[in-house]
Amino acid sequence: MKATVERATLLRCLGHVQSVVERRNTIPILSNVLIEADGDGLRLMATDLDLQVVETIAATVASPGATTVSAHTLFDIARKLPEGAQVELAVANEKMTVVAGRARFSLATLKRDDFPVIAETDLPTAFTLPAATLRQLIDGTRFAISTEETRYYLNGIFLHVVDGTEPKLRAVATDGHRLARIEFDRPEGAGGMPDIIVPRKCVAEIRKLLDEADGDVAVSLSASKIRFKLGTATLTSKLIDGTFPDYSRVIPTANDKLLKIDVKSLSEGVDRVAAIATTEKTRAVKIALGRDKVTLSVTSPENGTAAEEVPADYTSPEFEVGFNYRYLLDILAQVGSDQVDIHLADAAAPTLIRTGDASNALYVLMPMRV
Amino acid sequence: MTHRRIIHVDMDAFYASVEQRDDPGLRGRPVAVGSAQARGVVAAASYEARAFGVRSAMASVTALRRCPALVFVPPRFDVYRAVSLQIRAIFADYTDLIEPLSLDEAYLDVTEDRRGIGSATAIATEIRARIRETTGLTASAGVSYNKFIAKLASDQNKPDGLCVIKPAQGPAFVAALPVKRFHGVGPVTAAKMARLGILTGADLRDRDLDQLTRQFGSSAGYFHRAAHGHDDRPVRSDRPLKSVGAERTFDRDLASEPDLLAALDPVVDAAWRRIERSSATGRTLTLKVKFADFRIISRSMTRTTPIASRDDVASAGAMLLRALLPVPMGVRLLGLTLSGLGTATPGEPADLALDI
Repeated sequence: MKATVERATLLRCLGHVQSVVERRNTIPILSNVLIEADGDGLRLMATDLDLQVVETIAATVASPGATTVSAHTLFDIARKLPEGAQVELAVANEKMTVVAGRARFSLATLKRDDFPVIAETDLPTAFTLPAATLRQLIDGTRFAISTEETRYYLNGIFLHVVDGTEPKLRAVATDGHRLARIEFDRPEGAGGMPDIIVPRKCVAEIRKLLDEADGDVAVSLSASKIRFKLGTATLTSKLIDGTFPDYSRVIPTANDKLLKIDVKSLSEGVDRVAAIATTEKTRAVKIALGRDKVTLSVTSPENGTAAEEVPADYTSPEFEVGFNYRYLLDILAQVGSDQVDIHLADAAAPTLIRTGDASNALYVLMPMRV
Repeated sequence: MTHRRIIHVDMDAFYASVEQRDDPGLRGRPVAVGSAQARGVVAAASYEARAFGVRSAMASVTALRRCPALVFVPPRFDVYRAVSLQIRAIFADYTDLIEPLSLDEAYLDVTEDRRGIGSATAIATEIRARIRETTGLTASAGVSYNKFIAKLASDQNKPDGLCVIKPAQGPAFVAALPVKRFHGVGPVTAAKMARLGILTGADLRDRDLDQLTRQFGSSAGYFHRAAHGHDDRPVRSDRPLKSVGAERTFDRDLASEPDLLAALDPVVDAAWRRIERSSATGRTLTLKVKFADFRIISRSMTRTTPIASRDDVASAGAMLLRALLPVPMGVRLLGLTLSGLGTATPGEPADLALDI
């Protein structure tokens, strides 16, 4: 194998694939990136057995072939090569040489035949989503994904379709304290798709790729795998093998106290009073709801107290409720409008947060006992 | 110099005595609390059984071999706990400094003598009489100037005995003791000491600390102080619970996934019962596995939120167990322990959970 590629192109692609590679691996080849050269250019691929990313890039191929080398090492080399350099990759005697300008590296390789590949066949459901929609879908839910390994079925975004007169594609995530749900019109081809849970790492990787991508993303899936194609990258991931709980019953429908409040004033206020919450122990912001105003306060056993009044639209009986301020800020960062509706029942009941009844996103937040 | 007055109270053959108290048919007979099944273990033995060489923690089969007439009685922990509360209530009349070691054993610091009884010996006598009166059971007590000697003393005249070791007698008392009576000297250490010619407290006392340190590492300092009759550890009524859990030994070695997962269930139940009772909350769960060759391994995981239900224990336990599959050989015992404990104090801010 011998090929020449532009340093910037190589760096960008290695950037995409190398983050899939775990820093510590018990299986040596999983530390490597697979490089294949053929008439069309180079194909770079990395995997952690559950998730694989493939990038195709333009290159001048003098002789086709394939090998695998340490992904992080090659990435570091590409990073440090001078801008604008042409990089020559060549394989001989079980080594890969990397030559750019006057720099020359000889890297250990492992056989490409040993490189594990997730088969991309048998993905019966296929549809396309605009990159902007997929970004919104992920950003609107991923913050609520659970990191609790024992509840592995919550360690991802639940994707499913709802039929009816206005069929929807819905994404849901929850960690047992908060829940985020966002929906879009069901894309053509998504009808009848299986309910799936997309794992957190896949969500993180696809989100990184979306930073640089526009246009459409081609999604293909089965009950056990999902594949995203965008730009020059293809990401294929196994899905979480589990059943997402029936989340609909924790979305309150009869909360009778409505607080309408300016998102910016509320989130800035919460952020300010939370300035004194410097330890892990202090997580709660108390919200005292009064006629047409709320009083935010935080009490820190170490630092003291903080309070701020925020004007609001509220006419129900006065009461106090506490929330984990980080959870509240996470949600407020996503609502994407000027005003938010907070539907409350009492200080211990699930609270519904959304921007008007027609909004495509809703959030459920459990209070804290304060 | 004034010295502390410490009492170590230890119920005599506690579980077995409770059973004999409640079932007259068991009185005067060799009784073992525990299970007679193949893999059962004796949790406690009556004095009649001990005469045959039956000891607690002994395999039931061994116990039966030593004493074929042994009567096995299943344990009734609820009753033992109730009795334990009765005796702790008695202790509380004499001091607030009570350090329970288990259901049937506690250290009391009665230096203050809040009832003006006059001496620790008189207090111990009164406590023993009241325990007998209230529970119908006997207790032995050791009275001395530190915990180490008080505990040795309570064992001295068992059962139903009292032993007082005054500060002036302490060093001689310790010097005459065989080292295997020292807390922390098990069969292996005792054998090693015997090889080095250390058989009694006096032998240990006369050794050079540096030399002991070379032989016994970090335990040497403790052995050395103990052999001189020194022990400064306070009686701590607030000694925090470090971990809580349970384990089970199986009737036969288990190796298949379904067998192991099924066997984990009663362990989860037992562990959760104890966790609930101690009202402890913790985020770290440890699975202990003893293999057929008696090798023990443990695996633990720490969650970001407290393990707060039986389901939490079950799912975390199953996850730890699955990670070990397939097992290289049969499994004899599984245990689950919750650690990293804090006690949930009502009124402290807490994240409430969605019912999901």
